[in-house]
Amino acid sequence: MECRTARELNLDGLRGRLSPELAAQLGDHLSTCAACRNHAEAERVLNEVLDASLPQYAAPLALKRRLAASWPARADTAPAAAPGRSRARLFASVVAAAAAVTLFVSGATALLVEQRAGRTQLASETVNDHLRVLGGAPLAQVTGGLHEVKPWFGGKLDFAPAVQFPGNDDFPLQGGAVEPFLDRRAAVFVYKRRLHTASLFVVPREGLAFPANLHTQTVRGFSVALWSAGEQGYALVSDLNLPELLELQAKLAAP
Amino acid sequence: MAGGADEVARQALAHADALYNFARWLARDAVEAEDLVQEAYARALAGAGQFQPGSNLKAWLFRILRNVFIDRRRRAQREAEYAEHVEADVESQEPAAGELKLAQIRALVAEDVTAAVQALPEPHRTVILLDVEGLTESEVAGVLGCAPGTVKSRLSRARAVLRDRLAAYRP
Repeated sequence: MECRTARELNLDGLRGRLSPELAAQLGDHLSTCAACRNHAEAERVLNEVLDASLPQYAAPLALKRRLAASWPARADTAPAAAPGRSRARLFASVVAAAAAVTLFVSGATALLVEQRAGRTQLASETVNDHLRVLGGAPLAQVTGGLHEVKPWFGGKLDFAPAVQFPGNDDFPLQGGAVEPFLDRRAAVFVYKRRLHTASLFVVPREGLAFPANLHTQTVRGFSVALWSAGEQGYALVSDLNLPELLELQAKLAAP
Repeated sequence: MAGGADEVARQALAHADALYNFARWLARDAVEAEDLVQEAYARALAGAGQFQPGSNLKAWLFRILRNVFIDRRRRAQREAEYAEHVEADVESQEPAAGELKLAQIRALVAEDVTAAVQALPEPHRTVILLDVEGLTESEVAGVLGCAPGTVKSRLSRARAVLRDRLAAYRP
């Protein structure tokens, strides 16, 4: 087998898409060709990185609702464009579309309920909102540190976010923002760690599934920490590794 | 054909998250992504009778969405530029220098990977994302409207470019 062919087959080989004969030929070639082995390893590492770190964006609930609302009317028109369709089939199609809408709307409602009830969904929402912050949400000025950021929230929120950590050399405070978070507005505090960004979302916890004690998990390559204190819920997210995120969380949660 | 239209009506909305994710990566903008998804669903309903029952509905929807995207960006010019740019150097592909830096690539974080993928030209992003989505080369070929062999070479080239870009990042 030539090197060019081997490199074309490496990805299929990693995914088990080769016939036994081709897989054996590829294996024979890789056992004798270091350059193609390096290529196969590079393909495997890229798969790992994409699986672990490529963010997946969930469709906004409002979009799903708009789609569901438009679905029955458009389904009514689609069969009309198909000549020769019987009235019974037209009816069946409309019924099917209506059933799909019912299921979809039920699913959307269930999704909202789950987002509020489940920590996993809460963490996923946190990651989505973090990506929005990274995408360019304007930050309040922080030349005066936390003393400038907190007053900036005045008039923009109906609660006063309880955050005491002003940042330090390890985690300098970059600024603040107000962003939607599920059905409410969140105070966002943005910290840095080297080249990494960490976003802290603070919201009134009522009706949301913020745990009383610290809960951590990884979502789409991001580390997320959820906790609550008093009447406020806290969601901290970053692409930092979990130990470093917990280092920041400890400073934020300190009384 | 009637079965295809019924399948679209029953199951198309279940792919809303996957379509929105694809649209976000294509458009690199949340608002435009929503517009793309809405228009794609409208086209899917209008053309539901053309869907082949039993084929991959998600791939069919991806194709519609990408066509919507390309229509908005003047399809002819973009594809011509892409064909000239991408196909020319597939033949001379060599292992990237970045392949020697696998540990460094493995240490990259989501922000780096996002930036690297977003910086790819649209055709490269598309084959990478459809591959990650789990579509086969034949299904990706259906989305792109080209031969499966072309998908293989485009994907190979796109992954090589992505590896090079990732290798250039410093964790």
